Amino acid sequence: MRLYKKEGNTIHILSFPEEKIEKGDYLLIEDCSAKKDLIVQIVDVQFANIPGILEELLRDSTTNQHLNGENFDPFQLVSHITYIQDSNMLLCKARGTIENEKIIPNISWLPSRTQSKIKKLPTDSLLNLGGISGDLPIFLGDTKDSSQLTINAHALDGKLNIITGKKETGKSHLSKTIILNLINYGAVAIILDLNGEYTKLDFSLDGKRNEYYGKIHVLTPGVNFEVLLSQMSLRVMLNILFHALNIPGTSAREFRQIWRVLEQKGTLTLRELGEAIRNWKCNHHVRDALFSRYYALLNSGFFTDNPSEATIFEKDLCNVENGTALIINLRDTSTIDRQIIVEYVLGKIAELLTTWKMRAVFLFAEEAHLYLRETYWDDIVTRMRHFGIFTTFITNQPDTIRQNIYRQADNIFLFNFTNENDLETVSRAAKVDAETVKLIARDLPPRHCLVLGKVVNDFPIVAKVRSLNIQTMGQTRLFFTNKD
Amino acid sequence: MIEQLHYTTTPKYNFPLSPETLQIPQKFIELSLKTIKTPKQQTLQLPQQTLFNNCSTTKLDDEDQTQFFPNHNHYTIQSIPLNPLNEETTIVAVDVSSIKIGETNQGIICAIRGTIVWKQHKSYKYLRIGPFPLHITEENKREIYRLLRQHSLNLPNEPLHHSNLINMPTKLGNLLECWIRMKISHASQNSIILWDGSLTAGTTSSPIKTISQTLEIARNHLNATLAFSKNTYLRFLTHQLTVSKNLQPPYLLEINDLPTKTGSFSLLGKVYMTRLTRNGCCFRLDIDKELPNELRIEAVEKLLGNDLLFQSYPETLRLAHIFATFTATEVIAMQRFLVKKCGLKILNRPNIHRFLFGSFGYGPEA
Repeated sequence: MRLYKKEGNTIHILSFPEEKIEKGDYLLIEDCSAKKDLIVQIVDVQFANIPGILEELLRDSTTNQHLNGENFDPFQLVSHITYIQDSNMLLCKARGTIENEKIIPNISWLPSRTQSKIKKLPTDSLLNLGGISGDLPIFLGDTKDSSQLTINAHALDGKLNIITGKKETGKSHLSKTIILNLINYGAVAIILDLNGEYTKLDFSLDGKRNEYYGKIHVLTPGVNFEVLLSQMSLRVMLNILFHALNIPGTSAREFRQIWRVLEQKGTLTLRELGEAIRNWKCNHHVRDALFSRYYALLNSGFFTDNPSEATIFEKDLCNVENGTALIINLRDTSTIDRQIIVEYVLGKIAELLTTWKMRAVFLFAEEAHLYLRETYWDDIVTRMRHFGIFTTFITNQPDTIRQNIYRQADNIFLFNFTNENDLETVSRAAKVDAETVKLIARDLPPRHCLVLGKVVNDFPIVAKVRSLNIQTMGQTRLFFTNKD
Repeated sequence: MIEQLHYTTTPKYNFPLSPETLQIPQKFIELSLKTIKTPKQQTLQLPQQTLFNNCSTTKLDDEDQTQFFPNHNHYTIQSIPLNPLNEETTIVAVDVSSIKIGETNQGIICAIRGTIVWKQHKSYKYLRIGPFPLHITEENKREIYRLLRQHSLNLPNEPLHHSNLINMPTKLGNLLECWIRMKISHASQNSIILWDGSLTAGTTSSPIKTISQTLEIARNHLNATLAFSKNTYLRFLTHQLTVSKNLQPPYLLEINDLPTKTGSFSLLGKVYMTRLTRNGCCFRLDIDKELPNELRIEAVEKLLGNDLLFQSYPETLRLAHIFATFTATEVIAMQRFLVKKCGLKILNRPNIHRFLFGSFGYGPEA
């Protein structure tokens, strides 16, 4: 390999056919005279622009059934020609410098074009140099050179993460890997599970219970997840009314008064709430508005007046020593019901965190735009982060996440995207240059993920996500399946 | 005596040759190997615009012919209309290219390659001979030339006049071309043989004896030799002969009363101007003058009936040129071969033109 040119932070390296390199690989440009090595990552592999290549190809293309021939080539120059023709130009991005055996983020120097030696930097060396694995390792998968990519759980703590990629590339699989590892380290995870994919994390592929049995709690609204009105604060209920049920301001004011009266009486039940609305002295339009919201709450099946049926949400979350995951199964729930449930859950988590009943929680939100109101985005990534909610968004529609979220994301786990718009959206993330995202993510095979951000010490690494011995439940149900 | 059935062997003529049957001269290979092993010093790579100029081997000869055809107005011209003859005839074309690969402290490194293309039964077949890289120095140039001349042309030694190193690739290419033409004249039967250039003889690389002998061998094997020249200095009443709007192609313009010998040069062909297609260019065409007139015309008509014509130029000859030409990739590959084989170190020689004249130092726009 030879150093060809540098434009900005893009370095062009000429590579020859016997040098087996791929997109995503790291190279080390050793400059002995400067006593420094530049770390670069290959973001694209192109054909080298060889003079005369067009003529050569045109001439070769003329050999067909009507034209063929022989070459008397005593010096076997053809092998040299093919060698030249197959040479590649590697587009690389400078990532850092090794000086005195330490990685420093300085990429402002230029290695010697003539004196530098270029060699492949194995991923395990990079991981060691970058101190990426740490004391709470999470094994994500294997890199292309069969090194194990192990990230540090500390790098997820207090951070905002995004897992994105097109359908069926392995996003949920990765999030499950991370969740189970967080449980191993005693963390609490809450998963807003849109499709019921996380409900069998405590069962292995053969259907038997695994080591996570007892640590995974699945709450299915209307089945084993119902709440009493008295478990809920007025603020959470008003959030539900405003954001999920769009109650007008006047009606909300009346509702607040009704709630306070019932609360003072100690009769905060659904039945009493219905009676109170019926008997409340107010404009009949307001009453109608209150009734329509009341019936929406009633029909959601999420609220109950029976204390024995009610779920004590904090029971599974507080005082946990060995780690746990609470799966909120949102499958088979309507859009409004979903919003009601999520408003309740987030309100409850915020309440538990502010009262220090819980230390911190890792929240995993799948396709959050389907249940999270607009104003929550900023709330979650800015304000609630300080209370201890560390969110991971999982989506196959990157444009549903707002731009400022990408800019604030600490870690991005990027799977394959082919759509230009999707790539453009993700490339706005501040953790890496747009070209790296676009060029590498476009060609990622299924289950391969480009890891960006603090978990890899800002060295983007491609890894194949490891398989899990759990019932992942993420498969799409098909019509044309083998009936045998 | 009982009458015996007489079986004749299948004639081998006109089957495209394999390298084995062509008996590629080991001398070329030996010489090439011998010379490229000698340089043990640095080579200086040439600026690219100079480096990738392929030399057609006829270039020097064409230049020489300016002296041979003085601008006098005594030619007479006769037009001959042509009708394509579809009688199955093999068309054979020969071309050779030479190129300078680089310079050493002692001389230059060049490469030569020859190509033969056959058109037969609606398909084309080619044989490429080479490339042969050669390291030519002031010390060895006479020796190389003598050995190749002796081998290719089977001629006695003759002093090498006015040959600076820069002309040597073309001269050596001419020798390879002469050898290939000779072999093809031997091996072909009832064919049309196409040369690139003219049938003018008398240069050191194209001795009259060799060219006459080659043409004679071709005639003896019932071949007709035609030479297409892309450039000509022929003029009639100071007008360029390539312009003739009144005639309907395909046609030949027979140029009579040209001097057949001037100084050391001899015209071994009958000279025509020709336009073979309606929208094509006009070329000078030399046809072996020892052939009867009707056979000369028939040869062109057979060419019309058997070969494709691109811009009035025979496809077989065009392919021969294309396959002989060195591409820039091949030049780089040969440089790499020399670096590997001989341990040469390639250096970039500063471009003096660019150095002196800046952006005006490139020469004419390519």
